[in-house]
Amino acid sequence: MKMKKIKTYLLTLGMLTGLAGCSESFLDVNPMTSVLDNNFYKTVADAEMALIGCYDGFQRTSSNGNMSFYVTSEVLSDNTFGATGNTDGRAYQALDRFDIAQSPSDNNIFNGTWADYYSGIFRCNTLINKLDGIDFGNDAATRNRIEGEARFLRALMYFDLVRLFEKIPLLTEPTTDNVPQADPLQVYKQIAEDLKFAAANIAATAYPKADAATNDGRVTPFAAKAMLARVYLFYTGYYAKDDLGVSKAEVLQGLEDVISSGEYGLVEEYKALWPAASYVPNAADNTLDKSGYAGMGNRETVFAQKFNNTQNYDGMLDGNRWLVMMGMRNTNYAPYGKGWGACTVNPRLVNSFEAADKRRTASVIDLEREGIAGSFDIKDQREYTGYTNKKYTPVALPDGTSDTGGSNDFQISQDQDFIVIRYADVLLMAAELGSANAQVYFDAVRARAGLGSRAVTRENLLEERKLEFAFEGIRYWDLLRQGLSTAAAAIAQTQNVLSGNAADQVVIKAENISKTRGFMQIPNTQITLSKGVLVQNPGWN
Amino acid sequence: MRITQPLKKFCCILLLTIAAQVAHAQSVSGTVVFDDDGEPVPGATVRVRASGVAALTDAAGKFDIKAVTGDVLEVTFVGLKTAEHTVNATTGIVIRMLSEQSVLDEVVVVGYGVQKKKLVTGANLNVSGELVQKQNQVNPLQALQGQAAGVTILSTSGQPGAGMKVNIRGLGTIGNSDPLYVIDGIPGGDISVLNPADIQSIDVLKDAASAAIYGAQAANGVVLVTTRSGGKGRGQVSFDSYVGVQNPIRLAPMLNAQEYRTIMNEQALNSGAALIDFDGMSGLADTDWLAQMFVKNAATQNHSLNISGGSDVSSYAISFNRIDQEGVIGGKAISNYQRYGFRVNTEHKLYKEVLKVGQHLNFNYIRNNGISVGNQYNNTLRGAFITSPLSPVFSDNNKYNSPYNDTSDSPWYNGDGNPYGQMMTNSNNRNDSQRLMADLYGELQPIRNLRIKSVFGINYYAGEYRSFQPLYRFSVYSFNENHTTTGQSMSKGHTLTWTNTASYDFSVGTHHHFDVLLGMESQRYQGTYLLASNWNLLSQFDDFAYAYLDNTTGKAHLDADGNVVETRGIGGGPENLYRRASYFGRVGYNYQEKYMFNATLRADGSSKFARGNRWGYFPSFSAGWVLTNEDFLAGNGISGLDFLKLRLSWGQVGNQSIDDFQFASPINTSTGFSSSDPAAFYVFGTSKTNVPGAYPSRLSNPDVRWETSEQTNLGVDAHFLNSRLELYADYYIKTTKDWLVQAPILATAGAGAPYINGGDVKNTGLELSFLWKDKSGDLGYRVGANGAYNKNEVGNIPTEDGIIHGPTGQLFDNSDEFYRAQNGLPIGYFWGYKTDGIFQNTAEIEAWKSAGKGILQPEVKPGDVRYADVNGDGKIDASDKVNLGVGMPKFVFGFNVGLDYKNFDFSVVANGVAGNKIVQSYRNHANKQANYTTAILQRWTGEGTSDRIPRVTETNVNWQFSDLYLQKGDFLRISNVTLGYDLSKLIKWEYLSQLRLYVQAQNVFTFTRYDGMDPEIGYGTSGWVSGIDLGYYPRPKIYLVGLNVKF
Repeated sequence: MKMKKIKTYLLTLGMLTGLAGCSESFLDVNPMTSVLDNNFYKTVADAEMALIGCYDGFQRTSSNGNMSFYVTSEVLSDNTFGATGNTDGRAYQALDRFDIAQSPSDNNIFNGTWADYYSGIFRCNTLINKLDGIDFGNDAATRNRIEGEARFLRALMYFDLVRLFEKIPLLTEPTTDNVPQADPLQVYKQIAEDLKFAAANIAATAYPKADAATNDGRVTPFAAKAMLARVYLFYTGYYAKDDLGVSKAEVLQGLEDVISSGEYGLVEEYKALWPAASYVPNAADNTLDKSGYAGMGNRETVFAQKFNNTQNYDGMLDGNRWLVMMGMRNTNYAPYGKGWGACTVNPRLVNSFEAADKRRTASVIDLEREGIAGSFDIKDQREYTGYTNKKYTPVALPDGTSDTGGSNDFQISQDQDFIVIRYADVLLMAAELGSANAQVYFDAVRARAGLGSRAVTRENLLEERKLEFAFEGIRYWDLLRQGLSTAAAAIAQTQNVLSGNAADQVVIKAENISKTRGFMQIPNTQITLSKGVLVQNPGWN
Repeated sequence: MRITQPLKKFCCILLLTIAAQVAHAQSVSGTVVFDDDGEPVPGATVRVRASGVAALTDAAGKFDIKAVTGDVLEVTFVGLKTAEHTVNATTGIVIRMLSEQSVLDEVVVVGYGVQKKKLVTGANLNVSGELVQKQNQVNPLQALQGQAAGVTILSTSGQPGAGMKVNIRGLGTIGNSDPLYVIDGIPGGDISVLNPADIQSIDVLKDAASAAIYGAQAANGVVLVTTRSGGKGRGQVSFDSYVGVQNPIRLAPMLNAQEYRTIMNEQALNSGAALIDFDGMSGLADTDWLAQMFVKNAATQNHSLNISGGSDVSSYAISFNRIDQEGVIGGKAISNYQRYGFRVNTEHKLYKEVLKVGQHLNFNYIRNNGISVGNQYNNTLRGAFITSPLSPVFSDNNKYNSPYNDTSDSPWYNGDGNPYGQMMTNSNNRNDSQRLMADLYGELQPIRNLRIKSVFGINYYAGEYRSFQPLYRFSVYSFNENHTTTGQSMSKGHTLTWTNTASYDFSVGTHHHFDVLLGMESQRYQGTYLLASNWNLLSQFDDFAYAYLDNTTGKAHLDADGNVVETRGIGGGPENLYRRASYFGRVGYNYQEKYMFNATLRADGSSKFARGNRWGYFPSFSAGWVLTNEDFLAGNGISGLDFLKLRLSWGQVGNQSIDDFQFASPINTSTGFSSSDPAAFYVFGTSKTNVPGAYPSRLSNPDVRWETSEQTNLGVDAHFLNSRLELYADYYIKTTKDWLVQAPILATAGAGAPYINGGDVKNTGLELSFLWKDKSGDLGYRVGANGAYNKNEVGNIPTEDGIIHGPTGQLFDNSDEFYRAQNGLPIGYFWGYKTDGIFQNTAEIEAWKSAGKGILQPEVKPGDVRYADVNGDGKIDASDKVNLGVGMPKFVFGFNVGLDYKNFDFSVVANGVAGNKIVQSYRNHANKQANYTTAILQRWTGEGTSDRIPRVTETNVNWQFSDLYLQKGDFLRISNVTLGYDLSKLIKWEYLSQLRLYVQAQNVFTFTRYDGMDPEIGYGTSGWVSGIDLGYYPRPKIYLVGLNVKF
C-alpha cells in the first residue's frame, strides 16, 4: 500500500518534470517589436529601407553634434579663425593653429566624427555586401541604382575621412577586425571606383531635376561625376601623381556630361542661394520675407546633404548641428540667428572682394556696417573680427527669437541643407581641367557675381574659387591641393582680434602646418582601442 | 496567546475533577513565565510527575495544582523546553521556561528549504525581522546596513524611496551587480516595498556553495526573505507606529555674495580681463541657494497593524501598513514617498497533515514624486551649486505668473538661472504603482520525511507615470516658452514562477543522516507599456493637478514654412518575453552532526541566449566539521568553548543580467527608437517629410553566454561561555569571469558593441563578526560588531587596450574620462593626474622646466597647479594619469549595542566604511560664473599662500581631473539611537504584553573628514562606480517617537 503511494507521487513528480522537458522550445522567444538581422535584407523593400539607413548614416556625420568636416574645413582655412566663446576650451584654436599645444589635453577632438563616419560606412558596406542575398527578380536596374547610391555615399564619407586624416583604415565589408591604416592611394582608388560605379549604374532619369520637390538629396550619376572631378583634383594636386586609375579626360568628360545634361544652371542672384542672405525681416508682423531665396533643390544644387527640423533628444537625429556653431555668439539679429560664435571671418578675405562683387554682402555678415555690433555680445566672443559668415548661419525673427521649426530649439532644430557641390563648382572645375569652353564657364560664374571677364588661368581660377565658395568647406582643400608649402604660406599669419573685448592675436605658424602635413589628429581613443595599430599623424602627439 | 472562554471553562472542570481525586495533596500555586523576558506563558501544561495530575496555566500564566512538597512538576509547552520544578513552597512558585531552540538549534532558511544552523556548511548570514523592524527604515535594505558583514549597502540618493546599492562580497562585474532577492521562495521579488514589520527573517547567502542552488541568477549572492506566518495558539495583535521629523545634516558652504564678487574679480584679473563693475549693477542679491532648496522638519510616519494566530490545522498572519516620507528638498509637493501595504499569509493542514496548503499575498500601492537625482544634466540640486549668489530667488517680473526671478536680463549673468524656481516649477511628476507578490503552495508528505512541494507564484506590477512641463523662463538657457507638455504613461507586467521540489530525509544506521532534494523551476516574464504626450493644456486647467491628456489641446498643424508640426507623441508595445527553465538537486550528509557534507548542482536554461549556448551548469561542494563534537575537545577541551565548527566550500554561480536578444543584431527602423537607439530617417525634396530607413544598430554575438562566478570560502563558527559569545569568521576568494560586457570596440566596426563574455575580477576578503550577550541582574546587554575587508582586482579585459573606459562629460561640461576598469586595478578606479602642489613663483616654473618635466597649462603662471609628470617624458598628457583611488570602500563595518533594564531598553547602531575616495565636483568649471564652495577661499593668492588650491582663473586649466577632486570617503555614522520604555507592566490588562513608547534618532552623528553634505554616496554615473558627488541628495537626520503595542 505504502509503496504504491510512493510510486504514485514519484510518477506525479516525474510528470511535472516532464512537462518542462520540452523546455528548449519553451525558451525560444521572438522579439515582438524589433527586427533582427537574420530576417532582414531579404526583399527589395528591405534594400530600399537599408539605403535610407545609409543616407541617414551620412546625415549623422553632421547631425550627431560632433566636430563636423564642414566646420573643420573652415577653421583650417585662411577664411576664418577658430573663435567660439571666450571661456570655451581651446580645441578650435588647436585646429586653427595646427598646434596641439593650444590645448594639450584635447586628444579626442575627432573621436565622435571618426565614429560617425565609420558607422555610415558600415551601413553602406553592410547593404552592398547583402545585395547578392536579396531577391530583385529581373529588376537589375533597381539593384544597380541602390548599389550606386550606397557606393556614392561610401565614397563621399571616405573622401572626407581621407582628406582629414590621410591614413585611415579602408573597409569595404563589415568587420570587427583591428584594421591598420591604408596607403591613401588605396583609399582614393576605392573612392574613384565607387564614384565611377555610381555614375555608370544610376540611370540619368532616376532622379530628374524636374522632380526636385520630391527627390532633392538623391544621388544622381551627375553628382557622382562632379564629385569624381573634385576627388581627382585634390588627389592629383596634393600628391602630384596621376595614378588614380581614372584619366583627366575621363573626369573632364564627366563634367561636360553634367553641363550638357541641361539639368543644372546657375541661379540668377548669387545671394538667392543662401537663406540668411536672401531673407528680409519684416518687423511689422514679425516675419521674414523668404521669397528671395532660391529654395532647396534649386537648379544649381548638384548634391546636397539634407537636414530636417524634427531633431529631438529622444532619438531623432536630423538637424544641422554644425550650423549653430557658426551663428553669432548669443546674438539674435534678424534675419541672423544666434549660435556659438565659431569661425569669425578673417578680414583678409573680406578685403579681397572687389567692390562690385555681389558675393561680398551675400557671403559675409559685417557687424559694424549692418549695425549689429551695438547689440552683439562681444565680451563672450573669442577672436572677434567684426565679420562672420552669412551662408551657413541660423536665422532669427525680428523679435529676436530663433526662426527654426520643429521643437524650435535653436541648438538642434536647424535645418538648412548643406550644398555639397553646386553647378558653379562644376563649371569652374571643367574650366580648370581644360574644357574647350573654359572661358565661357569662367565668365558665367563671374558675370553672376556682377564682374566682367578675366583670363582663364589656374591662378585666376583658384582666386575665383576662394571668393565664389567662401564658407562652403572648399577653400582649405583648394589650398592644400596647390601643395603644402603654398597652403602653409597662405594660411600662416598674425591677426589682431578681440577676445572677451580685450586685445588678442591669432598667430598661425607655417611650420606647424608643414609639420602636420595639413592633416588632423587621429582620435586617441581609437589609437588606444587599437592597441597602437592605428598610428598618430605627425604633429599631433 | 489568548485562551478562549469555552476552553477556560473546560480547564476549570478538569481541575475540579482532578482535585476531587487527590484528596491528600495540598494546593500549590505559581506562575509560568518565559525565561528571557518574564512574560507569562498561558496554556502551558503543568503536570505532577508522581501523580500524573495536570493543570493548564491561565492567561496570566498562573496555575494552581495539588501536590506535596518534594513532588516534581513538569511544565510543557509547544516550542519551549520542558521545565522541571521541585515543589518547596505552596505559593509564589515561579517556573521559567527556556526557548526550545538554542542558537545552535535555530533553523535558518537556505535555498529551497531550511537547515539547522549548526549543520550549515556555507557562508550564510541571518538577520531577524525584529532587528530590521527596529531600525524604522522605509526600505528594509537600509536596515541591514552595518548588520551584515560582507554586504555593502549604500544609498544611491537620500530622496525618499530611492534605491540602495547592494554588493555582496565586492563588485563582481561592471554589469548588473545586484543580488538575487527571493521572497518566500519566489525569486525576483522587490524587497524594497516590503513592510519591515512583515519580515520574519532575512538570510543572505554569501558564498557560491550556498547560492549555487539558484544557479544562473546567483553570481552576486542571494538574499532570502521570509515573511511572518501565524503560529499555533492564541491570536496576537500588534500595532507599531512612529512619527518623526527630518532635517538635513549639514549644507555645503557656498560663497556668499561678497566672497563671490571677490573671487569673480580675482579670476577676471588673473585671466587678463577687466575688473567687474558689480556696484554698477542693479538688482543683485545675496542668495544661499542650498538653504533655499531644503525644507525644515520634513515629516515621516509609519503605521503598521499585524494580526496573527492559528489553530492545529490553520494559521494566519495578516497586516496593513502605511508609510509616508517627505523629502528634505523641496518638501512634500516636490519629493515624497507614500506606500500602503497589505499582507495575508495562511497555511492549512489537510488529511491528517499529509497535505499542507498555504499562500502568501502581498499587495503594495506606492505613490511618489521627486526631483532628478542623476548626472550633471539630470540633477535638480546641482543648480544650487552652480548658480551665483547674486541672483535673487524672487522678483516681480511675473512672466507666466511666476514669482521666481528670471535672469535673462540680469546685469551680471543672463544664463545664471534660478534653481529654486526651476525645481518648484518644473518638478511636476507622479508615479503610481502597484505591486502584487503572491504564491500558492501545496506540500505532500505521503510518508514521513518525504516532502513533495509545488509552489506557483506571481509577481505582478502595474505603474502609471504622469508629468507636466509648464511655461517658464529663468535664464537665456532655461526656458520653455513655446508650449506646455503633458505626458502620461502606463506599464504592467508579470512574472510567473512554478517551482516543484521533492525532498527526503533519511538515516542509515543511527549515525549517517542524509537529506536529498530534487527540483525544477520555470519562470516567464511578460509585460506591456503605453505612453503618450501632447502639447498645451486647456487654459482653465493649466496646472499639474489637471495635467491629463484629455485636457490637452495640441493638434498637428503647419508651421510658417508649411511643414507639419506634430504635437502628440505616442508609443507602446510589449516588452520582450523572458523565459527560464531550471533543474536542481542537493545532497546533504552528516555523521553524528560532526562531519557534514553538501553538494548541489543546478542546470539553467535561459531565453537570453541563443540555442546551443543557453544552458549553464552550476555545481557546488561544501563540508563542515564540528570540532566540539570530537572526543578530544568535548571531553577535555578548552574551557568555555561550547561550539567550534570549520566550514569549507567551493561553488560556481552564474549571472545572466543582460537585456533580451543581445545575441542577435537588431535592425533599427523608424519605430521604437530612443536617444540611445536613434531612428533612421532621411528627408528628400523640399517638403519636410521624413522617409523611414533601417540600419543594424548593434553587432551580433550568437556565442554570448553565462557570466560565471567561482568562489571558495573558509569559515569558522565558535561559541563560548554558554553561547554568550558568538564569533564568526570567513575568508573568501571570489573570481567572476566571462563578464557580460558591452566592451568598447573600434569605431571601424561601425555599430554598437555586442555583449561579449570577457573580463574577470577577483574579490578577496575577510569577514569577522562577534556578538556578546548576557544578563546581569535586571540588566540585559548585547554588543555586536562586524567588519569586512574586500580587495578587488580586475584582469583580462577583452579589449585591445585592456580597459573599459568610463564616459566623458560627467564632472562638468566636456570634462574628461575619469574612471575606468583596467587589468590589475580595482573596478571603477579614479583615473587622473597627480598634483605636486602649486607653482609658487616663476623660478619654480623655470626649475621645473629645466628639469625636463612637463607642464599642462599652455601659459603657466605662478599659482597654477603643478601636475606630476609621472612618466617624466617632458609633457603632461593621458599617459601621466594614474590610479587615484576607488569609490567602493575596502572596509565596511558596523556595530550595535543593546541594553535593557527593567522596562527600559536602549540601543545604538552604527555603520561605516573606510578605504574609499569621494570625487566632489560641485562646480561647473566650464562656466566661469559658476559658484564655488568656501574651500576656494584657501586659494593661492601669492607666494606661500597655498600649496593645494590653485589661483582662480576664468578657464578650467587648473581643474583637469586630478587628486584635487578627491577626498577620503571614510565615515562612521551613528545611524540609530533608540530609548524605549514598556508600560505594559504598569497596566493591569491581562492580554497586554507590550506597550512600548520610544524615541529614536537616526543619522545623528556622522564622523567623517569629507566636507560635502553626506559621505555615504552610492551614486556613480555608471553602475560600476560609486562615490561621485555632483550635488548629492543627502540623507537627513531624523528624530521620531514611536509606539509598539502587542496584545
